[in-house]
Amino acid sequence: MKKILLATALCATLIHAADVLPVEKRTFDQSKYIPDISLVMDASYVSRSVSDDEVVHLEVPGVAHGLIGSHEHGGETHATYNADNGFNLNYAELVLSSSVDPFFTMDGVFHFSPNGVHVEELFFTSTALGNGLRAKGGKFNSNFGYLNEQHHHAWDFADMPLVYEAFLGMHGLNEVGAQIQWTAPTPFYLMAGVEVLQGENEQMFGNNTIHLSELNASNADVTYEKAPSMFVGYVKTSFDIEDTTVLAGLSYIQGSSRIDHTEDEEEPHAFSGDSKLYGADLVIKHAFDSYSSLKWQNELLYRDMDGIQYGINTATGFAGSIDITKKQAGLYSQLIYAIDRNYKVGVRYDSIFKNDIEKSAGEAAFAPHDLDKYSVMAEYSTSEFARFRLQYDRNNAMFNEEGNRQSIDTIILQANISIGAHGAHSF
Amino acid sequence: MRHFFLLLILPLTLLAHMSIAVSYPYIGAITKSIGGEHIDTVVLAKGNWDPHFVIPRPSLIAKMRSADALIMNGAQLEIGWLPPLINRAANPKTQPNAKSFLNLSQHIELIHKPKDVDRSGGDVHPDGNPHFHLAPENILILAKTIEEFLISLDVEHKEVYEKNYAAFHIEWSKNIELWKNKMAKHEGQKVIQFHDNLAYFNNAYGLKTIGTIEPLPGIPPSSKHTIELIKLINEQKPSCILHDVYHSTKTAEFISEKTGVKIILMPHDIGSLESTQDLKSLFDYLTGALQ
Repeated sequence: MKKILLATALCATLIHAADVLPVEKRTFDQSKYIPDISLVMDASYVSRSVSDDEVVHLEVPGVAHGLIGSHEHGGETHATYNADNGFNLNYAELVLSSSVDPFFTMDGVFHFSPNGVHVEELFFTSTALGNGLRAKGGKFNSNFGYLNEQHHHAWDFADMPLVYEAFLGMHGLNEVGAQIQWTAPTPFYLMAGVEVLQGENEQMFGNNTIHLSELNASNADVTYEKAPSMFVGYVKTSFDIEDTTVLAGLSYIQGSSRIDHTEDEEEPHAFSGDSKLYGADLVIKHAFDSYSSLKWQNELLYRDMDGIQYGINTATGFAGSIDITKKQAGLYSQLIYAIDRNYKVGVRYDSIFKNDIEKSAGEAAFAPHDLDKYSVMAEYSTSEFARFRLQYDRNNAMFNEEGNRQSIDTIILQANISIGAHGAHSF
Repeated sequence: MRHFFLLLILPLTLLAHMSIAVSYPYIGAITKSIGGEHIDTVVLAKGNWDPHFVIPRPSLIAKMRSADALIMNGAQLEIGWLPPLINRAANPKTQPNAKSFLNLSQHIELIHKPKDVDRSGGDVHPDGNPHFHLAPENILILAKTIEEFLISLDVEHKEVYEKNYAAFHIEWSKNIELWKNKMAKHEGQKVIQFHDNLAYFNNAYGLKTIGTIEPLPGIPPSSKHTIELIKLINEQKPSCILHDVYHSTKTAEFISEKTGVKIILMPHDIGSLESTQDLKSLFDYLTGALQ
């Protein structure tokens, strides 16, 4: 009883003290320095024509496997957005940003999902270089292409374009490294940038040793490549014709590849070599008025992977090797009509139309050239901070282990809600 | 050799006037009036579109990149579009808190500062109503602010800026009197608006906004609110609906049909309408619009 009384008295004093001292009068108050904070949530209801168990075993032959659903890799569970039938809590994204001093700003994007917390982005950006120069360091989304730099909640569809996801994985090009961009002093927009990145993309790049000798002592390890091992360059330009804006870009990446799938249950393998990725993007947006617009967005990706593929014998752990080159290309094209501030509708066409795989030995790779996907969506936003989207897509790019095409129909009802600081997006 | 240097420097001195990026056309007009031939203005937003929603086109990054200064409205009117442009342009001269960065809202006493700031109340501006340039008296304060700003950047032409400001002050003060006389007969009139962007104009001339077509700031009209508004109009008999140029007049027309209250289009900036191509014609139009 005494304790309760004491606690109550203490509370009362505290409350009283708070009354006496408003925030702005506290001697060492630092509340004015709190960075801009926002929290974005994304959740969805998914209905897919293929079961969750089946969908994880489907692959884009010769390009990628385990694209949809969740899978284990390196002891961690990876799940794409909208992985399961039924309800999905895709993520909560905590964004903090502020200026550091007169010379830098800092941004942090923390991605909370049922699989854990990841530092999605954490970087500082220069503000004082002048002459159109801007430098960035830390972990960030590469400015390669158009879509890559944008966060999921800024996309016009609930999922990534097929070619992006198949070539680069669900995180896209999200790396630790440094970036320098230069905007030219031209009357129209012209920007060139280079990035040096660590190079650890799960689908295409990598530099770690692949320990094949651990599987069988007679195997030689695939040696590592000294990091950083990924180099990105791009040029972007934009101009306006009345109320129509055209933005076009060319991008290029080259890097080493060390892809370690030796622990896969089905057909364990590894790849080591050099990869190049070329990108071309074109966005045309016409604004009818302040709230209504038509946006046509296109990207073409072409990749050239050249190296050695190791096939692991599941019984003996022995790794056989062959020379392999992959020349693959795909594109997406989407058209989004913003009817007014509340409603948007859109269509998207996805295709991987080139899938040439050459091997030095063994049977020819199964690599179909007609991989496509069709999506439509309609969204309703109650305000800039809450958006509900209904999306339907038909994916004809996935095949089962027997090499039979498994067309997937998916309906996604997505809710994307944010609170806190007002997010302003670039074009 | 000396001649060669002179030849090199000559074109530079000819181009030596400052390039000043401004967020909205009205700021460009005041700045040009004060800066005259010593400055170039680069206007980022268009006058006929919603000032809250400007598409951050990459061409604007190119414009900001080479600017010597940036003047913005402030009070969070640009919050949805200017920050990424400032960030992308990476121009030290257009960074907030740079000597060459001017936030006009800090020099005006804002009205309607909300007591509670919460998004359940719509897209409220926490610092107060940001559409302060539509009171003619405020234009004088802004002109004085810009004069001081230009002098701070380019003291060499101090006298020119002072002279231009003095001339602007005399001319504008005369106009203020004319507009006051023109508007005197409307004092006390009740009006409806779409969004309260005429708060300062109405304040200046004693017009009273009794309702808005949007139920809350930034929230599009709802049928429930429209019905309530029609009821309110029938009770209070406002003289007109003052409508901005960028929202659809569909709901206003419906209300007008039901109540007989007429709709008057009110431009909010230079270029909002064909006939408002400079600051004076903007206010001539606004003060003449109510009959």
